[in-house]
Amino acid sequence: MAAAPKIPLDPSFSDIDRSVLGILRAPGLLYWAWIGFCFTLVGIAAALWARQIYSGMGVTGLRQPVMWAIYITNFVFWVGIAHSGTLISAILFLFRTKWRTAVYRAAETMTIFAVATAGLFPLIHLGRVWFFYWLLPYPNERYLQPDFRSPLVWDAFAVSTYLMVSALFWTMGLIPDIANAREAASGWRKKIFTVLAMGWQGTDRQWRHFSMVYLLMAGLATPLVVSVHSVVSWDFAMAINPGWHSTIFAPYFVAGAIFSGVAMVMTLLIPMRKLLGIEDLLTPWHFDNLAKVVLLTSLVVSYAYITESFMSWYAGDPIEQTMFHMRYFGPWGWMYWVMVLCNCVIPLLLFSPRIRVNMMALWIITIFVNIGMWLERFVIIAGSLTANFEPSQWAGYRPSITEIMITVGSFAWFVGLFSLFVKFLPIVSMTELKEGIVWLRKALRKGYANAA
Amino acid sequence: MSTTLRAVRGDRASAPRPVESIAGTSMIVMACVLVALGAIAFMIALLRGDAATAWEAYLVNLLFFLGVAQGAVVASASFYLTQAKWGGSTPYRLGEAFAPFLWVGFFLFFGLYFGRAAIFPWVKHPIAQKAAWLNIPFLFARDGIGLGLIALVSSAFVRISRSEESRAWTIATREIEMPPHSIRVVAPLLAVLYAVVYTLIAFDLIMSLAPVWRSTLFGWYFFAGCFWSGLTAMALIAVLLRRRLGANNLFTNPTVMHDFGKMVFAFSIFWVYLLFAQYIVIWYGDLPVETFFIVQRVHHMPWSPLSVACVVLIWAIPFCALMSVWAKQTGWVLGPVAALGLIGMWLERYVLVVPSLSPDAIPFGPAQFLISIGFLGLFLICAVPGLNRVAQAATSGEPAGDLGE
Amino acid sequence: MSTISIISAFADDADCARAIDALREEQIRDFNTFSPIPSHKIEHAIGRSRSPTRWVSLTGGITGVLTGLAVTIGTTYEWRLNAGGKPLVSWPPFIIICFELMILLGGIFGFAAFMLFSGVPATVTAPGYNPRFGEDRFGLIVRCDEAEAGRIESILKESNAEEVVREEAPLR
Repeated sequence: MAAAPKIPLDPSFSDIDRSVLGILRAPGLLYWAWIGFCFTLVGIAAALWARQIYSGMGVTGLRQPVMWAIYITNFVFWVGIAHSGTLISAILFLFRTKWRTAVYRAAETMTIFAVATAGLFPLIHLGRVWFFYWLLPYPNERYLQPDFRSPLVWDAFAVSTYLMVSALFWTMGLIPDIANAREAASGWRKKIFTVLAMGWQGTDRQWRHFSMVYLLMAGLATPLVVSVHSVVSWDFAMAINPGWHSTIFAPYFVAGAIFSGVAMVMTLLIPMRKLLGIEDLLTPWHFDNLAKVVLLTSLVVSYAYITESFMSWYAGDPIEQTMFHMRYFGPWGWMYWVMVLCNCVIPLLLFSPRIRVNMMALWIITIFVNIGMWLERFVIIAGSLTANFEPSQWAGYRPSITEIMITVGSFAWFVGLFSLFVKFLPIVSMTELKEGIVWLRKALRKGYANAA
Repeated sequence: MSTTLRAVRGDRASAPRPVESIAGTSMIVMACVLVALGAIAFMIALLRGDAATAWEAYLVNLLFFLGVAQGAVVASASFYLTQAKWGGSTPYRLGEAFAPFLWVGFFLFFGLYFGRAAIFPWVKHPIAQKAAWLNIPFLFARDGIGLGLIALVSSAFVRISRSEESRAWTIATREIEMPPHSIRVVAPLLAVLYAVVYTLIAFDLIMSLAPVWRSTLFGWYFFAGCFWSGLTAMALIAVLLRRRLGANNLFTNPTVMHDFGKMVFAFSIFWVYLLFAQYIVIWYGDLPVETFFIVQRVHHMPWSPLSVACVVLIWAIPFCALMSVWAKQTGWVLGPVAALGLIGMWLERYVLVVPSLSPDAIPFGPAQFLISIGFLGLFLICAVPGLNRVAQAATSGEPAGDLGE
Repeated sequence: MSTISIISAFADDADCARAIDALREEQIRDFNTFSPIPSHKIEHAIGRSRSPTRWVSLTGGITGVLTGLAVTIGTTYEWRLNAGGKPLVSWPPFIIICFELMILLGGIFGFAAFMLFSGVPATVTAPGYNPRFGEDRFGLIVRCDEAEAGRIESILKESNAEEVVREEAPLR
């Protein structure tokens, strides 16, 4: 992939367009090889899922009492990844944060694909997947309706609302950009962009309603994103299982979601800005601020770990204490301590301003965070089930190859979709970068561009 | 603290003369009278054998006013952490205005030692399992050290924040610049300390009054409430000063008032979210050790109307009243909403503390009222020098708002 | 006298806003703009009231809450099933459903209102549109009588218009 034209220190609107639209040039062979690799893995996962549907859940490692394990872990993990996109696109928009403009499209695109990935897992986890629609209310001759008191039904509502509203929000932001890309494109791309831009021309009338609805959508998405991961956490917290039943779960899961999501944004964007040659649009200033969000949420997550441990000791409930003892020192204790290392200790490096602008260091740290957050969900979900109220029922869990390959496939699916998006639609919002161009100029002036 | 610091003058010709002082001797005298009334009422209550209810009122007010003062200082620190420049230096001065009360609160905390038998049920009926945590020496040591440390760090923060270097940073918008180095060390430290110390305070001074009960979110819920009460007190003062500071003070700027209104609105929703997050988990789990705390406050008389009132005052009224831009910018909407919100937050502390100790009736008589007034007086005395600085900053004609880049 | 259109392009939205102010002072109101970004300055100069889309979104939100209440309470009474000893109408969980539907319908209504009010999807290109108005130029199209054209052109030029072009056909 050839580098897009570099932009000067004092960029104009046209420089931004040139740089962003430069990404959309026809991709090379290596790119298609990468896409092919990703979707081969997806194909393998799909075949294994088909086999699982055909022969039943016995092909997984799920056995009593551990009936929720890797699939649900993946579900929570991917919903969590989605959260950073809404944080950056909606919450930081309401806070008038200046650095969000360059990264928000990429983060929001991640949201869409991550929710799309996450939404598959409850289905994959179903033994009889063809009955998934039973989760939604619909008129039927048996007068049977979902039990709205069940957290799983809340989940169906929350996740589908999240997918819908994020997709609308994302589409809205894309419209002016696609209209702009339409003018520069030619051939079949121009035709597609013309349709997708829906006749956007940027008249005062269009902008007037656009600005208002964009603000409204941000205002709606902000409580929504908090509610979604709260509801996900309540899938666990509503049960009285030790290790699951804890009031702190909702905000703690939300913080953890943002933590892992922003880390994933950085993991993807750091190589991407290099490959696409847009280092001057995604400057170290942007990453410095993303790293601060990671640091903050890391501290919040650490706070939750400490509070939970303290409370299990303070409450003096022997069953809960046994569970926590197993969590720290049981057969899977190593996972807990790796998780603490990845989520609480390594991110402390981000207190150093020098590390926050060192792309290589950031990339490595965020990969650790991704690993740590995946482990955290696994430790909470599967780990809490291994040691339950009845010691006679205690049992371990060993994932089968089906579960492992479907997990790998979900990563390939997510990365593959994201890679496709990058080359076919504008991955950096030209409109918003232009709106906040003074801040891009400031960032470049500060010489951040050369720091990396 | 001197009230005659060099006033900062704007360079614009039209800038009004900075107001040097808005709260003077008369306010201090009045506040002193309130303090005296409170102290006398407290003494009389103790002598008359109402020690239990007098100490309850003492604890409730300590928690409330300490929460407002600390929450506001942390708000100022979080403005640095988010590099907020929407109101120049004034929001920072506003957040720091109550800081001296932190030391008063620190000393008043040790006063609880004398009321320990009335306040902590586990003093009279020790719980063997929890004795390692719930014992008087350890409790006063850990919370005392925590409150002392955070008062110390807050004072250091306030001193650095009031320096000319920091002030210059708050109004500089030409380039991306980090706040002064010392601020970048102290502000994150203060934020972390705040979460830790105020979680401890919530666990020790509220949760331990019902020693069987626990809720992991309770600490977070408590300090989020303190933070909101700090922000709301700042918004209330902004509204009160708006008229008194003459034309062209910062608080007449609708954008700035809009921002104050937004913060009151947003963090009130956050508070009710944390409340709901605890409620639904406890409601659904239906474990007796968890539910009794809620049932007593939500379903039993005389507490249930008070609990409902808390939610109405802290969340429902701000949510409905402040939804529109106009309302957030309008003093006579934002002011009363903020005032009611603060009353609601006081009531919330009351509902958290008192039913654990006096379950059957609301022990609120003239003595308890006067004790509360006394705390208010102390709080105001502490706030006088800080409020004068707010007045100076708001009338100094600095550029406001980050739109002027 | 025939109506003509004057197309002008600005490099800076502040200049464009200044031109609009000047036009409005002269009681000329038949104009529209094109811009690459949503400019507050231009919006302020045109001085329209705030977009009514917010009321549509609010309606959607209220509809969502009501739908949530109807669906949760209605289906519970349709088949009274005791689950886990919880009351039939359990408000804490139902709040969650109502909340999600409020956001969902608020968002959908808002988006629909955006499309409706701003005329998207549009099949016809607005007269005077130029691709550069999507890139880095702010366009101002004024429709007026031929007699007034000279005066308007001078207003536009005084406000630093880069280009002023007269179109004889009345562009609508």
